[in-house]
Amino acid sequence: MTNHWIDIQHADVIMCIGSNPAENHPISFKYVEQAMDNGAKLISVDPRYTRTSSKADTYAQLRPGTDIAFIGGLINYVLKNGLFHREYVVNYTNAAFLVSEDFDFNDGIFSGYDAENFRYGKDTWAYQIGADGLPLRDDRLEHPRSVYQLMKQHYARYTPEKVCEITGTAIQDFMAVARTFAATGKPGKVATIMYAMGTTQHTHGTQNVRSYAMLQLLLGNIGLAGGGINALRGESNVQGSTDYAILYHILPGYLKVPTFDNKDLATYNAKWTPQTNDQQSANWWSNTPKYMASLLKAYWGDAATEKNDFCYDYLPKRSGNYSFIKLMERLQGGGFEGLVCMGTNPIVGGPDAGAIANGLDNLKWMVAADLWETETSVFWRRPGVDPQNISTEVFLLPAASSVEKEGSISNSGRWAQWRYKAVAPPGDAESDAFIVDQWVKNLKQLYAKEGVFPAPLTDLAWNYGDGHEPDIDLVARECNGQFTRDVVIKGKAFKKGQQVPSFAYLQADGSTTSGNWLYCNSYTEKGNMMQRRGLDDPSGMGFYHNWSWCWPVNRRVLYNRASVDLNGRPWNPKKPVISWNKLTRKWEGDVPDGGWVPMSEDGTKSPFIMIAEGYGRLFAAGLADGPLPEHYEPMESPVANAMTSQQSNPAVAIPGKIDNSGRYPYVGTTYRVSEHWQAGAMTRNLPWLVELVPDMFVEISEEMAAWKGLKNGDLVTVSSERGSIEARALVTARIKPLRVSGKLVEQVGLPWHFGFNGLATGGSANMLTTAVGCANTTIPEYKAFLCNIEKGGIQS
Amino acid sequence: MSKADTSKNNAFLIDMTKCTGCRGCQVACKQWNQLEAEETEFFSGEGYQNPPAMSEYTFTRIKFRDYQKNGQNEFAFYKEMCMHCNEPACASVCPVGAFEKTAEGPVIYKAERCIGCRFCMIACPFGVPKYEWSKGLPLVKKCTGCYSRIKEGLQPACATACAMAIGYGPRDEMIKLAEQRLARYPDRYINKVYGKEEAGGTSVIYLTSLPFDELGFKAVTLRPLPGYTWQALRLVPGVFLSVGGGLSAFSWITHRRDRLKNEKQAELAEQGSVPSKEEQE
Amino acid sequence: MTAARRITNEVKSFHPFIKLLMLLVGVGVVASLLRFVYGLGATTNLNDTYPWGLWISFDVVTAVPLAAGAFTLGAIVHCFGIKKLEPLVRPAIVTGFLGYSLVSIGLLLDLGQPQRGWHVFRYWNVHSPMFEVSMCVAAYTTVLFLEFLSPVCEKFGLHLPLRLLRWIEMPLVVAAAAISTLHQSTLGTFFLIAVDKLHNLWYNPLLPLLFWISAICTGMCIIIIEASACHKWMGQPNEGTLLRTLAKIMPWTLGLYIFVRLFSLFALSDGPFFDRPVLTLLFFIELGFGFILPFFMFAQKSIRKNDRRRVIAACLVVFGLVLNRFNVSMFGMMDPNQIYYPSLIETLVTIGIIAGHILFFVLIARYFPIFEHHPETVDYSLPDQFRKIDSGEKSLETGTFPEGETVTGAR
Ligand SMILES: Nc1nc2c(c(=O)[nH]1)N[C@H]1C(S)=C(S)[C@@H](COP(=O)(O)OP(=O)(O)OC[C@H]3O[C@@H](n4cnc5c(=O)[nH]c(N)nc54)[C@H](O)[C@@H]3O)O[C@H]1N2
Ligand SMILES: Nc1nc2c(c(=O)[nH]1)N[C@H]1C(S)=C(S)[C@@H](COP(=O)(O)OP(=O)(O)OC[C@H]3O[C@@H](n4cnc5c(=O)[nH]c(N)nc54)[C@H](O)[C@@H]3O)O[C@H]1N2
Ligand code: SF4
Ligand code: SF4
Ligand code: SF4
Ligand code: SF4
Ligand code: SF4
Ligand SMILES: [Mo]
Repeated sequence: MTNHWIDIQHADVIMCIGSNPAENHPISFKYVEQAMDNGAKLISVDPRYTRTSSKADTYAQLRPGTDIAFIGGLINYVLKNGLFHREYVVNYTNAAFLVSEDFDFNDGIFSGYDAENFRYGKDTWAYQIGADGLPLRDDRLEHPRSVYQLMKQHYARYTPEKVCEITGTAIQDFMAVARTFAATGKPGKVATIMYAMGTTQHTHGTQNVRSYAMLQLLLGNIGLAGGGINALRGESNVQGSTDYAILYHILPGYLKVPTFDNKDLATYNAKWTPQTNDQQSANWWSNTPKYMASLLKAYWGDAATEKNDFCYDYLPKRSGNYSFIKLMERLQGGGFEGLVCMGTNPIVGGPDAGAIANGLDNLKWMVAADLWETETSVFWRRPGVDPQNISTEVFLLPAASSVEKEGSISNSGRWAQWRYKAVAPPGDAESDAFIVDQWVKNLKQLYAKEGVFPAPLTDLAWNYGDGHEPDIDLVARECNGQFTRDVVIKGKAFKKGQQVPSFAYLQADGSTTSGNWLYCNSYTEKGNMMQRRGLDDPSGMGFYHNWSWCWPVNRRVLYNRASVDLNGRPWNPKKPVISWNKLTRKWEGDVPDGGWVPMSEDGTKSPFIMIAEGYGRLFAAGLADGPLPEHYEPMESPVANAMTSQQSNPAVAIPGKIDNSGRYPYVGTTYRVSEHWQAGAMTRNLPWLVELVPDMFVEISEEMAAWKGLKNGDLVTVSSERGSIEARALVTARIKPLRVSGKLVEQVGLPWHFGFNGLATGGSANMLTTAVGCANTTIPEYKAFLCNIEKGGIQS
Repeated sequence: MSKADTSKNNAFLIDMTKCTGCRGCQVACKQWNQLEAEETEFFSGEGYQNPPAMSEYTFTRIKFRDYQKNGQNEFAFYKEMCMHCNEPACASVCPVGAFEKTAEGPVIYKAERCIGCRFCMIACPFGVPKYEWSKGLPLVKKCTGCYSRIKEGLQPACATACAMAIGYGPRDEMIKLAEQRLARYPDRYINKVYGKEEAGGTSVIYLTSLPFDELGFKAVTLRPLPGYTWQALRLVPGVFLSVGGGLSAFSWITHRRDRLKNEKQAELAEQGSVPSKEEQE
Repeated sequence: MTAARRITNEVKSFHPFIKLLMLLVGVGVVASLLRFVYGLGATTNLNDTYPWGLWISFDVVTAVPLAAGAFTLGAIVHCFGIKKLEPLVRPAIVTGFLGYSLVSIGLLLDLGQPQRGWHVFRYWNVHSPMFEVSMCVAAYTTVLFLEFLSPVCEKFGLHLPLRLLRWIEMPLVVAAAAISTLHQSTLGTFFLIAVDKLHNLWYNPLLPLLFWISAICTGMCIIIIEASACHKWMGQPNEGTLLRTLAKIMPWTLGLYIFVRLFSLFALSDGPFFDRPVLTLLFFIELGFGFILPFFMFAQKSIRKNDRRRVIAACLVVFGLVLNRFNVSMFGMMDPNQIYYPSLIETLVTIGIIAGHILFFVLIARYFPIFEHHPETVDYSLPDQFRKIDSGEKSLETGTFPEGETVTGAR
C-alpha cells in the first residue's frame, strides 16, 4: 500500500477493483465504512456481486481479465473531458516528457518486439534526451511525442462502447463509475483504489496495477490522504516476507538478486544502481551500493571485508526465472530430489495443481513444516494413486503458529508490529525460527566437515544466542543494522556496536551492517520501535506515529510530497498529510518523503524519490510488456481480442495445456470466501468454520442453471483442459452472463479453498487453472480460464 | 410486571448496513460459549447461510438474503440473537423463574432451575430459546448476552469480533446514536429503530436499509408480552375467591333450602301427605 | 393359591378388550422409556419450531377439560342442589382423578427434567400461567384423590375416614370448582403470550374465559357419554333420566360459549382471519360441528330424550373441544412451510395414556363401588367400623362385557 489501512477513511471515492475487502480483508472494511459515513462513495468492480459489492453505491460487473480495457476507458474519459489534475500531472508526473521518435505501437505490439522469444527490446521506449542530459519536456502537454499526447492517443481507442463490448459491463454502470471516479481529479477531492488478486493474477497482472496507478496519477490522487493505490496484501505477513525477499529475484529491501553476469560487486552496483543527470531527482536507489554492502556485512560479519567484496562471491547468482511455476515445471520433470514446504500447500494452491501433485511423486524426500497435515504432505494418499507406488520419504515437522512465538509482522500498510508469544506451542511443535536455526547450525557443521564450497555457510554470521530458540530480539537488531566500528557520519559520531539510527547512515565501506535497509530505523538505540503502542495522534489524521513502526523511516503515506502544491500547501487543506510551515521552514504532519524544501524553492527534490527521474511514471519503460498498459485477452478466452489482432499478452509464451477450441465455453474465475483461508488446512480443519462453508461449490448464473436444468445445491462436474472436479452448484443472481463482442458469455466462480484432506474435503479449483504467469511477476493466471459444467458428479 | 428503568441497560446497536456478513460474530460466539459445530451440508438458505437456524449449538446466526429487486442485486445479512427484551416473555412464562432480566441488560438463564417445559420457547416472540433435543434430560439454550464478560467489564464476544456493525453500550445512548444516524443518513436507512419499541423494547436494536420483513425480521407486537398473560393472571386471586365464595354461598342457600324442605316434608310426612317425586323434565 | 397366582388367574379372566388395553399401556410404557434413553429429539417430531406437540396438545391441553366433569357435576349437584344427579358424581370423580393423574404423567414425560418437577413449588413465579396450572393441578389432583377415597373406604368399610370425607365433602367440592375454574381458564392464558404466533381466528383476550366455558360444556358431555357407555357395555343401569336433566343445561352453556366466542372474534380481534384456507376450514368445522350444531341439538327436547342422539350431540361437543384445543395449541400456530405431525413414539405414548385411562376406569369400576352410589342408601351416621356396606359388590359380578363389543373412543 502507498497509504495504510486507517487512511482509507479519508477517501471521497473508494474503488474496490480486483479485490473483495469485505470478505478477504474484513477489518479494512471498517475504514471503508468510516469513509462512507463521511460521505464517500464506494465502487465495486468485480465479475461477481460480492459482499463488498453489496455495500457499494455503484457496482460494475466485468469479465475476468479485462481490467485494462475498463481502466483504459476511464483514462480516456478523464483525458477526453480534461478532468485530470493538470498542475499535479505537469509537475509531478512524466506526462510532459517527450518520448523517442522510434517508439511505436502497432496493432497491439509495441516497438522492439521479438516474437520468437516473446520478448521486447526496450531501446525505443525511452525519453528524448536534451543537451543537458535531461529528458526533453513540453509543459503545455501539446507536443505530439509527449507522454501525455501519446497516452491520449493510445487510450482514445478505449471508448465506452468499445470498453463495454470487451468487459461486458452495462454501459450505464461504466459511465456511473467514470463520472464518480473522475470527479476526484479536482484538488480537494481524492479517491483510493483497493486492489488485490483479481488484479494481479493475470498474464497482464502488472499492467493491470499500472493502469490503476496511471489513473490515480492523472487525477492527482497519489501521495494524498485517502488516495494512493493500495495493494491489499494477502497472508498476514506477506508484506514482511516480500520485504524480506521471499521472491526469487530480490534480496531483502528489494535489492536485486545478482544475475550470473554480475561477476563482482562493482559490476553488480554498476548494473543495478540507477543513474540520473537531474540534480532535482533524489534517485534514492542510487544508494544501492551502501545497502548491498551493509547487507553482505550482516550476512557474513567479520568475514566480509572491503577487500573480498564483502563476500559478494558467496551470493548465488541467478541465470533465469525461478518463479513458482518454473520450479513446479522442473519438479514435474524430475528436476528435484527433495522439497521443503514450509507453510505452503502447493497441490491445493498452485496452478494446474494435479500436475504439481504428480510431480511430487518424483521426490526422494519432502520436509513439510506446518500446523496441519496438508494435502501436500500427504500427496501420496491423494485420490487416484496407490501409496505403494510412491517412494518419497516425508517428514512432517509440527510448526508453532503465529500466537505461539514472538516476532514482527508487517501488514499491508507497511507497519511492522511486534507480537508476543501468547501460549506455548502444543506437543512437539517448534517455531520456524527454531527449525531454521537448527538447520543452519547442523549444515554449518556438516559443511565444515565435508562441504564442497563450505565458506558461505561456515562464514555465515549466525549469532542469535545459545537458547533453545534463536533470540528474536537479536534478529530484529541485526535487521536494523549496527556500526561495525567507531565512525563519524554526517557529523555525528557513532560507536562500534551501536544501532544505526536510519538508512541515511548506512555506508558502502563496511562500517555498517543492515539485514534489510528498509527496516533500518526499526530498532534504534532507543529500542525496538516495532513494540511501540502509543495511541497519540496529534494531527488527527490517523498516522499514529508512535504506534509500532512503519517503513520507510516511519513514513505513513508514501510519496507524500506529492500531496502538496509547489509551495508546500496541501492540495486538500482539510486532510493534510504534510504541509510546509513557512515560519519554522519545516514540514508538519507525516514524516515527509525527504525533508527537502517545497518544489518552488531552490535545493528541492522531486516527490517521486524512488524513481530515477523523480516523476511519477505514466509512461514506464521498465516493464516486460510495454510502457503503456494495453488490453489483451487472458491466455484462455472465449472471444477474440476486440482491440487488436494480438490475442494474448505478447510478452508471455503460450504454454501447453491450453484449449481455446470452444470445448470449454465458460469463463472460470477463482476467489476466496471470508470463512476459509487459502489452501484450507487452517480452516477446513476447524469445525466452526467448516460448519459455515462445508462443501466445494461453484457459483453459476440463474440463466445457466435454467437451461442446464440445475437446482441450487445440485452436484456438477467442472472440467477444463487440466482436469475435472466435483462441486455443488450455487445458483445465484449475483453472477450473470455477459454480452461480450456480441455474444453471451457465461462465467462461473469457484472458491479455491478445498482439497482432499482434512475435516471438510472437496475438489480443488486449481485442478482447473492454467500454469501460466504474468509477464513481469509470473504470478499465475488464477483468475481467468475456460471450463465446462455438466450436471452430476464425476462418477455419473 | 414491575417496570424497571431499562435506559441504563446495556444494549446492542446492530447496523445491518454496516454488516458484511463475515460471520466473525457467529464464530466468536461459539468460541466464547464453547458450542459445538453443527454438521451442515452445502448451504442452508440463501447465499452462504449456515447453519439452518439458531439452535442449542448456535446462539447467533447471520441470515443471508440473496435476491433481486427491481433488477438490482440485494445481498443482505441479518444477525439473529436473543433480543434481551426489557420485559422478557420467556422470563414471565417460566414456571420456575429460570430466566432473569439482569440490571446489566442481558436476560440470563439459570439452568439449575429449569424443568424443561419449553414454555419459554412458545412464549418468545423472536423464537430464541432452543432446546437440547439430543439429550435425555435436556435444557434450554440461548444467547447469554455474554453476561460473564459484561460483569468483567468486557464487551460481548460477538460485538468484540465485529469490526463495524455491532455497537454496545447503555441503551439510551444506543438509541440516541441510532436516531442520529437515521437523521444524518436518511437515504441509507429505513426510518425505524427496530427494538426501540418492539415487544415493549429490547436490548438489541437494529438499523437496516431494507424493509425489515424482507430481511426476515419477525413482526412482533409493540406491547410488552408479559402483559398479555398478566392481564388474565392477575385476576386469579379474585376469581378464586369469588368462585369459591359464590359457590359456598350458593351451597349454603341450597342446603338451607333443602333442610327446610326436608323438615317441611318430615312435618308433612307426619301428617301423611308425601308429594310424589315427579321427573321435572 | 399364592397372591401371584390369584392375580394371574384374575387377569386371565379379563375380557380380551381389557387385555388389549393392557397391551397398549405396556407399549406406551416402553415408548416412554425410549424417550428417556434416546432423548426427545430422536423419539419425537418435536423441534425448535415445534417445542410443543401431541403430548402437550392432547395429554395436557385437551385432557384437562375432558376431565372437567368432576368439578362441573360436583358443583351442579352440591352447590346448585340438583341432588338427583348425585349418582353420576362418582364415575365423574374417578374419571377426573384418572384424567389428572395421567395429565401429570404426560406432563412429566414431556418435561426435559421431570426429576425437577418439584422445582415449581420451590421457585415460584406467579407471572407464569404454567406455575398457576401446576399448582392447581397438584391441588386439584389431591382434592380428587380425597373424593376418590370415598368409594375406596366404602369398599373396605372404613367408616371413620368415610365420615371424615363426608364431612369435608362440601369444602372439597367448592375448592374443586374454584381451582378448576382457575386452571381450566389458565390453560387458555398459556396462549395469550403467543400473540404473534397464534392465528387471529383463535387468538383473543377472552381465551381463558372461552377455555373455561368450553371445559364445563365438555365435562358434562363426557358424563353423558360415559354413563351411556357404561350402561351399554358394562351393564350399568340406564341413567337416562338423569342425563336428560344434564342435557337440559347444555344449550345454556353452549349458547354462552358461542356468544362469547363470536363476540371476542368480532369485537376483540383483528384480522386477517381467512388468509389461510386450511385454518379457515378447521375453524368452521370446529365451531360449526363442535359447538353450533350440538347447541341446536341439545336445544331440542326430542334429541335430549333420545339416548342415542343425546350421546351423538355430546360426542360432537367433545369433538369440538378436542379440535379447538388442537387448533389453539397446534394448528393455529403452525408454520405452513414446516408441518408438524406426531412421531410413532409420541402417538404410542398418547394411545397408551388413553388406553390407561379406560383400563383403570374399567378396573376401578370392577373392584370399587362407584356406580349405583345412591348416598341415601349409605348410612353415614354410624361410626361403626365393623359394619360392612354391600353397595358396589354387585359391580364385581356384573362388570363384564357382552361378547364382541368394544368400547371405542369415548372416555
Ligand atoms: N477470508 C480470507 N481472507 C483472505 C484470504 C483467504 O484465503 N481467506 N487470503 C489472503 C490472501 S493470501 C490474499 S492474496 C488476499 C486476496 O484478496 P482478494 O484479491 O480480495 O481475493 P480473491 O477473492 O481471490 O479475489 C478478489 C475478487 O476478484 C474478482 N476478480 C476475479 N477476476 C477479476 C478480474 O479480472 N478483474 C477484477 N476486477 N476482479 C476480478 C473475484 O471475483 C473476487 O471477488 O486475501 C487475503 N485474505
Ligand atoms: N486458484 C487460485 N489459487 C490461488 C490463489 C487464487 O486466488 N486462486 N491465490 C494464491 C495466493 S494469493 C496465495 S498467497 C497462495 C497461498 O498458497 P499457500 O501459501 O500454499 O496456502 P496456505 O493455505 O496459506 O498455506 C499456508 C500453510 O502454512 C501453515 N502455517 C500457518 N502458520 C504457520 C507458521 O507459523 N509456520 C508454518 N511453518 N506453517 C504455518 C498453514 O497451516 C498452511 O497449511 O495461493 C495461491 N493460489
Ligand atoms: S483475519 Fe485477521 S488479518 Fe484478516 S481482517 Fe481479520 S483480523 Fe485482520
Ligand atoms: S461480525 Fe459484524 S459484520 Fe461480521 S457478520 Fe457479524 S455482525 Fe456482520
Ligand atoms: S428475545 Fe425471547 S428469549 Fe430473548 S429475552 Fe426476549 S423473550 Fe426472552
Ligand atoms: S423450559 Fe425451563 S426455562 Fe423454559 S419455561 Fe420451562 S422451566 Fe423455564
Ligand atoms: S452476546 Fe454472547 S452469547 Fe449472545 S450472541 Fe453475542 S457472543 Fe453469543
Ligand atoms: Mo496471497
